[in-house]
Amino acid sequence: MYEVRFHGRGGQGARMAAEALADAAFLEGNYAMAFPFFGAERRGAPVVAFTRVDKQKIRIRTQIYEPDYVVVLDDKLVDLINITEGLKKGGMAIINSAKKPEDIDLGKKVSTATIDATGISLDVLGVPITNSAILGAFAKATGLLDIDSIKKGIVDMFSMRMDKKLAEKNARAAAIAYDKTIVGTCKAQRTFEKRKMWLPTYKEMPLGLATPPMKTEAGLVGPGSFIENKTGSWRTFKPILDHEKCIMCLFCWFYCPEGCIERVGNTTLKINYDYCKGCGICANECPKNAIEMVRE
Amino acid sequence: MKIKDLSLEELFTSGHTACPGCGGAIVARIAMKVFGKNTCAYFPANCLLVFGGTYPYNAFKVPYLHVLFENSAVCAAGISRALKKLGRDAKTVAFAGDGGTADIGMQSLSGAAERNEDIIYICYDNEAYMNTGIQRSGSTPFGAWTTTTPVGKKIAGKEVFKKDVPRIMMAHDVPYVATASIGYPNDFLNKLEKARDMKGFRYLHVFAPCPTGWRYDPAKTVEIGKLAVECGMWTLYECENGVFRITKKPKLSPVTDYIKLQGRFRHMTEEQVDTLQGWVTEKWEKISGETKG
Amino acid sequence: MKRVITGNYAAAYGAYLTRVDFVAAYPITPQTLIVEHISEFVNDGLLDAEYMRVESEHSAMSACVAASATGARTYTATASQGLALMHEVLFIPPVLHLPIVMPVVNRTVAAPIGIWCEQNDTMPQRDTGWLQVYCEDNQEVVDMVIQSCMIGEHKKVLLPSMVMLDAFILSHTVEPVDFPEIEEVDKFLPKYKPEHAYLDPKRPMVLGSFTPPEYIQEARYQTEESMNNARKVITDVTKEFGKTFGRDYGGLIEKYRCEDAEVILITTGTVTSTARLVVDQYRDKGKKVGLIKLRFFRPFPLQEIKELGEQVEAVGVYDRSMSFGTAGPTYIETRYALYGYSIPILNFLAGLGGRDVTIKDISFMFDRLLEAKKGKIKNEIVWIGTRGVEP
Repeated sequence: MYEVRFHGRGGQGARMAAEALADAAFLEGNYAMAFPFFGAERRGAPVVAFTRVDKQKIRIRTQIYEPDYVVVLDDKLVDLINITEGLKKGGMAIINSAKKPEDIDLGKKVSTATIDATGISLDVLGVPITNSAILGAFAKATGLLDIDSIKKGIVDMFSMRMDKKLAEKNARAAAIAYDKTIVGTCKAQRTFEKRKMWLPTYKEMPLGLATPPMKTEAGLVGPGSFIENKTGSWRTFKPILDHEKCIMCLFCWFYCPEGCIERVGNTTLKINYDYCKGCGICANECPKNAIEMVRE
Repeated sequence: MKIKDLSLEELFTSGHTACPGCGGAIVARIAMKVFGKNTCAYFPANCLLVFGGTYPYNAFKVPYLHVLFENSAVCAAGISRALKKLGRDAKTVAFAGDGGTADIGMQSLSGAAERNEDIIYICYDNEAYMNTGIQRSGSTPFGAWTTTTPVGKKIAGKEVFKKDVPRIMMAHDVPYVATASIGYPNDFLNKLEKARDMKGFRYLHVFAPCPTGWRYDPAKTVEIGKLAVECGMWTLYECENGVFRITKKPKLSPVTDYIKLQGRFRHMTEEQVDTLQGWVTEKWEKISGETKG
Repeated sequence: MKRVITGNYAAAYGAYLTRVDFVAAYPITPQTLIVEHISEFVNDGLLDAEYMRVESEHSAMSACVAASATGARTYTATASQGLALMHEVLFIPPVLHLPIVMPVVNRTVAAPIGIWCEQNDTMPQRDTGWLQVYCEDNQEVVDMVIQSCMIGEHKKVLLPSMVMLDAFILSHTVEPVDFPEIEEVDKFLPKYKPEHAYLDPKRPMVLGSFTPPEYIQEARYQTEESMNNARKVITDVTKEFGKTFGRDYGGLIEKYRCEDAEVILITTGTVTSTARLVVDQYRDKGKKVGLIKLRFFRPFPLQEIKELGEQVEAVGVYDRSMSFGTAGPTYIETRYALYGYSIPILNFLAGLGGRDVTIKDISFMFDRLLEAKKGKIKNEIVWIGTRGVEP
């Protein structure tokens, strides 16, 4: 049996990739299952999905804690999350990145494959949706499946949610990725702090979960505590404000869904990149074109 | 009130987990600025419940309650009555979505309006059940794709028209009913302010585009909020103590200007577009007739 | 002050005596008199409460949850279909720990539609986390509304309570009830001042937010712990109430002539009252029978019932509702409590849909138990008076 954990962001199609991989493995005579972590994550938030493949019927229904492979759809996640957490000895990371494996720092030396899935998907599909190209890289790097099965799996699963022609284009992206995948070993220079979580006993937990603002070992909880959730990491495009052009009309400040444009006195605006998700409303609404969206 | 007069304090803080470009998040943030600290807020099951707070974290800095989906109006009324009895001087506001308002919450909403409960009810309308993954609601417009009105070989998009909830609320003769759009800040602020300062049942229906469900570039949320008003798909008016007033006269530009930006309308045939345009024209005639009458 | 009044009046008067802050209710037969009396109390200025005449029971319970979460002492009443319509909302207050008090007039749930007594409205709500107490007479109804405030608002409990009265048999029957003076009740029952959950801009709190699996199981355990804490609190409160007002109901159960009983019958509601008579008649004939009045169904008196296993030779359980495919709910739980005792345990179903449960029916139950004691059991689940069914 082998187990795969996919890391992506809400809307990037990690779940569909996991499903297409399961279908591909099934087409080769295996038993396979794929499932998301059932959360309520919004578009842009980090998410995970899983695939499990075996020669016989799979009975285990738990989440996957020690995967054989991790697949990362968005290389920015590598900086946020310890994606090798729980990765089995001898396991492998397959990462969407234009970099070479040895230029990627996963905090732990592991066998790593990279593919510029974003570039391929922009070429083939016209959008940076990488969930098909990354599967081509998976097939190449692991040697577990034939690329033709991956292509069929993609067409099978993707055409349930989109036009068949688009599904076939996705299969083509996988085939291109298959040929361009580089396998090597990543570097291990940084360390990841273990994410802290507030896990009170039932007695420590406020009765009925009625929670006032409180400080816990894992930070603030209760009213207003989301302020510690730095959503800036979701961003692909970044707004740059040209102060010369700004006339302080405050439309950007008003419209920002994140409330991350700060008013400094009556004369200046400042974008708080800790929270900016890069939606681009500010740039779109600025009457003086003082805000430009640039790729991170 | 003008934009520059708005409070700097964020009672709906950064760090919430709405999709980038969320129209609902804009509604919540601005409404809380106008209502201020001295407000208790009720949330039914909706996107805002989830992206505004996942235990133990929360973006709202005011007293916060969720009970269920279909009872926003009566729960807000329960809070409001109890505050009164306990001698706590605070406002109560409910933030419901269009599904929780036009569909499953209609009974409780109508009851609370009939009793003239002292609450502000905000419906942020993104025209489908977005929290559960874009299923059609009574508020979904004609022709729109949703996951339950898919573009099939035989039938494509929603076959019936959008339910006009604000008019239903007007029929209750409550002190204040208004429609707004995040695309018109001053109009929106005026209406929030009026709703804040009045007593009794106040209903505010705010057009809140959803990039995820409507399939457009998140940067266009406000632009779409403007275009909807310009073409007449959404009309800005208020009814204050029985006096009806259109607050923004539409240009009545063709609906195609509005729908062409959105993936949810992409499949529509010329005939469907004509039907939608006909609905807009007829609706506008009805509304403008009302001001004359 | 003794007055001859209905069970519904007793239930409504309980709202007055406990000076509830908030009432939201919707009329349904046979509970209507409760909402009518409360309307009179409020309109006459006797009861100073916010009274919301809502458009459905779903809204009634929703409003009560919101008002209780805000910090008010909260009351409603319903029956049958109304309780079924509330079902979705009933799960909320036990977890948020909101001590709402709700008299429920036990009425049959459709189909077929009927208005008479059956417990198939409240029994299906047994897993929602509400305390449930079944009353025998109108005096107990008013006394239990008062005690339910005291028990439910206790810091170690903070759970909502249902106070049950049988349709018509209590709800519409007048009999003398000794009402305590409101000043006495004031002394007995402190004002409700919640510290755990309330809505006040002076101290904002998040209540009922969307919660991931990391916290829900602990929240469930909090409710379970409160339910278990309630056992002692109930016993303490009944004692204290007894001392103050002269009526001690004896905790979760009341034993009637059980001292040397060889067989006992367990009953809820008004059947208990008639069964006392039957016990007396059998005792007069020298037959060693006893009666357990099951007052609280939630929390279920597991320990008290278990102790019977040591003493008696056969146990009968009367149920006024059926859990189809198994047995009556009280029977199921009694057998659970008596696990390990190899004594015959019989279930008697009678009075469904409001059919009268007569002295003859109850005598039949004792006769069958006395037979069972000798090892002669025909059926474990006995449908009494059902045409075409051999009991």
